[in-house]
Amino acid sequence: MTVQARHPQLLRLTDPPIILGHQCIGCRRVAFPPDPYGCERCGSPREDLEELVLEAQGTVRAVATVHRHHQPSPATPFTVAVIQLTGGPVIKAIVAGAGVSVGTEVEGVLVQDVEDAEGNILVDLQFRVMT
Amino acid sequence: MNETNVLRDSPVYVVGIGLHRYQRRSDTTYVELGLTAARSALSDAGITWPDVEAAYTGTALLGMGSSRIMLSRLGATGIPMTQVENASASGSSSVAQACLEVASGRSDVVLALGVDKPRGGLGAAPSQAGIENLESGAVVPFTHFALLASEYMHLHGVTAEQVAKVALKNHRNGASNQYAQRQKVRTLDEILAEPISGAMTRLQCCPVGEGAAAVVVASEDGIRRLHLDRSRAVRIAASVTRTEGLYDAGVGIDAALTAETGSAAFDQAGLEPSDIDVLEVHDAFAIEELLYAEALGLCSPGEAASLIESGEFDLGGRCALSPSGGLLAMGHPIGPTGTGQVVEVTRQLRGEAGSRQHPGAQIGLTHMVGIGAVCVVHLLVSD
Ligand SMILES: [Zn+2]
Repeated sequence: MTVQARHPQLLRLTDPPIILGHQCIGCRRVAFPPDPYGCERCGSPREDLEELVLEAQGTVRAVATVHRHHQPSPATPFTVAVIQLTGGPVIKAIVAGAGVSVGTEVEGVLVQDVEDAEGNILVDLQFRVMT
Repeated sequence: MNETNVLRDSPVYVVGIGLHRYQRRSDTTYVELGLTAARSALSDAGITWPDVEAAYTGTALLGMGSSRIMLSRLGATGIPMTQVENASASGSSSVAQACLEVASGRSDVVLALGVDKPRGGLGAAPSQAGIENLESGAVVPFTHFALLASEYMHLHGVTAEQVAKVALKNHRNGASNQYAQRQKVRTLDEILAEPISGAMTRLQCCPVGEGAAAVVVASEDGIRRLHLDRSRAVRIAASVTRTEGLYDAGVGIDAALTAETGSAAFDQAGLEPSDIDVLEVHDAFAIEELLYAEALGLCSPGEAASLIESGEFDLGGRCALSPSGGLLAMGHPIGPTGTGQVVEVTRQLRGEAGSRQHPGAQIGLTHMVGIGAVCVVHLLVSD
């Protein structure tokens, strides 16, 4: 049995979880998601993009409860938020639990996503209201 | 942004317009859809197919090589034909290419056509770019815009009912447009029913069906040589295409890109936002109309919702916003949509829009954004 991240290039499965971004050596631009090709500001190639560790913590800028979805997972209704990370970048992610509105402080939590026939677990990042 | 103003030195005019109604996917072939719009535009211009020197087909979903098998049924004249793909702005880009070809002097009369038949799934290239994102699978376009609605409502103290009034207006406009996919006046209760995502309900999301739109553009020489009716010609005063730049974290990309593109178009034409009488914007989701009205400079940030509510953007108001019914009611068949906007604004500037006519319309604007992100703005003037 293994535990794997659904998005291995974006996450480190620590407690608390870590989000991975990049910083460009050429122009110091910080970006998420980490880019496999180059810097959108100065055009530096991928070799010049350094891994950047971002705390999975931030403030909700916008929130929407989704009632219709084209796939069975995630099951509806679920809530998606735009989150301003304390480290700068703005991301979108699922927020679990009630009480989320614009301005709410949230933190990342790993959620078991899928278990396959061999018992392997896929985990993904969601957010919850900061405890 | 140092664009030579070829449109001032070599004016280009819309001289013919035609549509096939936007509708739910049917057994009608794209060839039939496209030919209906093209024949209608030729007849509206008072020209015949051999007068046309080149054709651009805006389409995102048909697959390769769509133009000749369709347009050769007007006569295989052997003229150059090119497909143009720019996501939702494909039809706008077909007009931009046709306009550029005429302005360059290579041709005097060119057809810009938009045609599409969605086949389930849009097959957008960015999802194949190998760039992972956390929200992939959870955030589809309607949720992207529901999140923008959440931020807008919070920032400006606007209610979900106020946002829904965009759809109330556009469904009302679409009800008197025989080419619209949705032709039904709706109540606010109907619009607020059936939640999809956040504040966006079913009737605040555009239908994606099939259809076609065609525009014939011509030079001064073309108009003289073919003895076209100059009083019905509408001048293209600006044609501007921009792609997404780098904006501050959290800034709404579509609105920031719209502001840049709109501003470049006003500069090119020597016009101001306050000059606009009629405009068609990319209102695929109701919140977008508010964001783009503000980004294009029609009013201040946060002001659009109350102006919609007080009727300033109705037909007969300060300026008519989405007189066709917009993407929300006329529909968004992808390829045709941007071309269809030019058809509607031309009709308005000619004074031929019947029960939808905005009184005294002389200057109009069309605006599309598309996945990428891209943005195309045209300014049209009845001289
Ligand atoms: Zn850089």
